[in-house]
Amino acid sequence: MVGEPLVRIRDFRMDFGNQTVIRDLSFDVHAGETFGFLGSNGSGKTTTLRALLGIYQPTAGTLHIDGKVFEPRDGARLGYLPEERGLYKKESVLDVMVYFGRLKGLSRQKAKDWSRTYLERVSLTDKATARLDKLSGGQQQKIQLGVTIMNDPELLILDEPTQGFDPVNRRLLMDIIEDQKRAGATVIMVTHQMEEVERLCDRVLLLKNGTAEAYGTIEDVQDRYGATIIRLQHSGLLPASDLYDITLAEHDYAELAPRAGTAEADILRELVRHGVAVRSFTTARTSLEEIFIRVYGEQNQPVGA
Amino acid sequence: MARHNLNTVIGFEFFRTVKKRRFWITTLAIPVALAIVFALIIISNQSTSTTAKAQKNAHLSFTYTDDSGLVTDTLAATYGGTKTTDGARAIAEVKTGTVDAYFVFPVDPVTQPVRVYGTDKGIFENGKYDAVAKQILIAAAQQKISSPQLTALAQGNVTIKSQTYRDGKVSGGLNAVIPPLLFLLIFYVSIILLGNQMLSSTLEEKENRVTEMILTTLNPTTLIIGKVISLFMVGLMQMLIFALPVIIGYLFFRSNLSLPDLDLSHLSLEPGPMIVGALLLLGGFILFTGTLVAVGAVMPTVKEAGPIFASLMVLIFVPFYVVSLIVSDPHALIVQIFTYFPYSAPVTAMLRNGFGSLTPLESATVIAELFILGFIALRLAVHLFRYGSIEYSKKLSIRNTLRRRNHA
Repeated sequence: MVGEPLVRIRDFRMDFGNQTVIRDLSFDVHAGETFGFLGSNGSGKTTTLRALLGIYQPTAGTLHIDGKVFEPRDGARLGYLPEERGLYKKESVLDVMVYFGRLKGLSRQKAKDWSRTYLERVSLTDKATARLDKLSGGQQQKIQLGVTIMNDPELLILDEPTQGFDPVNRRLLMDIIEDQKRAGATVIMVTHQMEEVERLCDRVLLLKNGTAEAYGTIEDVQDRYGATIIRLQHSGLLPASDLYDITLAEHDYAELAPRAGTAEADILRELVRHGVAVRSFTTARTSLEEIFIRVYGEQNQPVGA
Repeated sequence: MARHNLNTVIGFEFFRTVKKRRFWITTLAIPVALAIVFALIIISNQSTSTTAKAQKNAHLSFTYTDDSGLVTDTLAATYGGTKTTDGARAIAEVKTGTVDAYFVFPVDPVTQPVRVYGTDKGIFENGKYDAVAKQILIAAAQQKISSPQLTALAQGNVTIKSQTYRDGKVSGGLNAVIPPLLFLLIFYVSIILLGNQMLSSTLEEKENRVTEMILTTLNPTTLIIGKVISLFMVGLMQMLIFALPVIIGYLFFRSNLSLPDLDLSHLSLEPGPMIVGALLLLGGFILFTGTLVAVGAVMPTVKEAGPIFASLMVLIFVPFYVVSLIVSDPHALIVQIFTYFPYSAPVTAMLRNGFGSLTPLESATVIAELFILGFIALRLAVHLFRYGSIEYSKKLSIRNTLRRRNHA
């Protein structure tokens, strides 16, 4: 699944005036993978994407797509859904879609056919000739996504794609992204919806205060931050031990966090040795949402754009 | 790909403008208004002509006294006049309505007024008294001259063809002045018609938050050039639509509209001034377009860009305050300043070019200045759009934007 890096960012720093928003950020996104770019509001995600796409000029470092700095002439291979949404609101849906389709290299007829097929998929066929500003916010979002994925881009960059969608349309959108992924697109996704990340992403990067707080597969991040949690139904007093920390203790239920290098079986033996009657002993990984809250919950002052 | 994108932008921008109902309402408002005015003029002219003819030939019952000795009894009688010697009685007859009018022809009708006393027949009908009195004097003068040729000359019915020379060669005179000044007219019309659209052309991307989509799909230079070309096409179409009623009026209703019979074959199209005029027009258009697009890229809304737009508009009208100096003393300091100050240069130079006072060196200097500054302004506009339009609702810091490396 993982190939050569399609996106390579090295030692990226971005200053706005005297404020450093991003410092020494380095990461790769491999061709064909879906990459979750995570962080709290103002942690610098959008700034990084804009610098990657040449909209911002980086203060230092290199940001390459396919081995070179992105130029708009490569736009036909890119699908970018920016955080700041907007299209030509006074024009009709079809006119705008065909215009962007043409700019992405499609012929007028192909752009028109593609647009009609897409509108049918997202249940907006009857809106083809309507002006964009006559559509609801969610409907406009669907059109914007359609424009983004026209001409099957090789690299899809989605900045909070599900923002403003109801659960039904969020599911539809996820299906569309999955289709793109199956078709071979590399996807970089900025989102605060951790269930989307767990469903779609192969690897993630957690950005905090302009630096990479964590970077790797979801399992890597879970291992680093939450590792495994042991959920225990028991009777008898839980003993203190060097093998684990008691993170939650109720009447007959407890959660234990194994210390580094401790095997789950050793913990079970330790409990039994101390006379704890164990009725249920299950292990679970900490969810990304819990990790996100743990990482960013302590952050009082957001940094950057 | 760049050419394909340029064509795509031009097509999109042009058709989305001309497809709008509002565009046609505003564009057709002027020709429709002109057509209405022309129709009113035709109706009015027909009515005036009929009335004038009727008044001129009106048969009145009037009395008159003639101290000039020009009006014969026979002549007066043909218009219904009877000579009298008692002015007071004649006025009394007018008051009672026994006669329509009483005319008093003075000793010298050229320097003294002809007095007319008439019964009031309404504002429009009253005009016939003057018309008849005047017609009697004209007929009397014609009788005295006794020559149709002299009569025509006395009325100024002469045609003069003049020939002037400059540097030993035939010069076109006024007929050579008009054609280069047409470029000035085109410049004014295009800037007035398109200025506001140039200003708002990039603001739309900002206000609609479409900048990021555009900047990652299309080279900003292509976008801006495409917009400028499409605006020019729209402006050209508007000019043709505006001109249509005038052309139709001239070709088919010239006499009804009392339009002068312009003999266009007399216009002298001298290559030098025509080429200079065209280049000044193009250079001025590029400079103003680049500047307005750059202003649009800096300002967050059309409203906030308004004062700068107004200043630029003032600068294209300012040279007309010194137009007499431009014609009579082109080397005056103020004329020289206006000739070289970039935003007053196009109008001043085009005026001087039309009147033949712009030397070849001055022409070359101003044209070079306009083109160079115009391309700098366009380049700046592209740069500001690329790095500034992402600021969306914020007013752009030009200094910060210019610090960024230019990739455009």
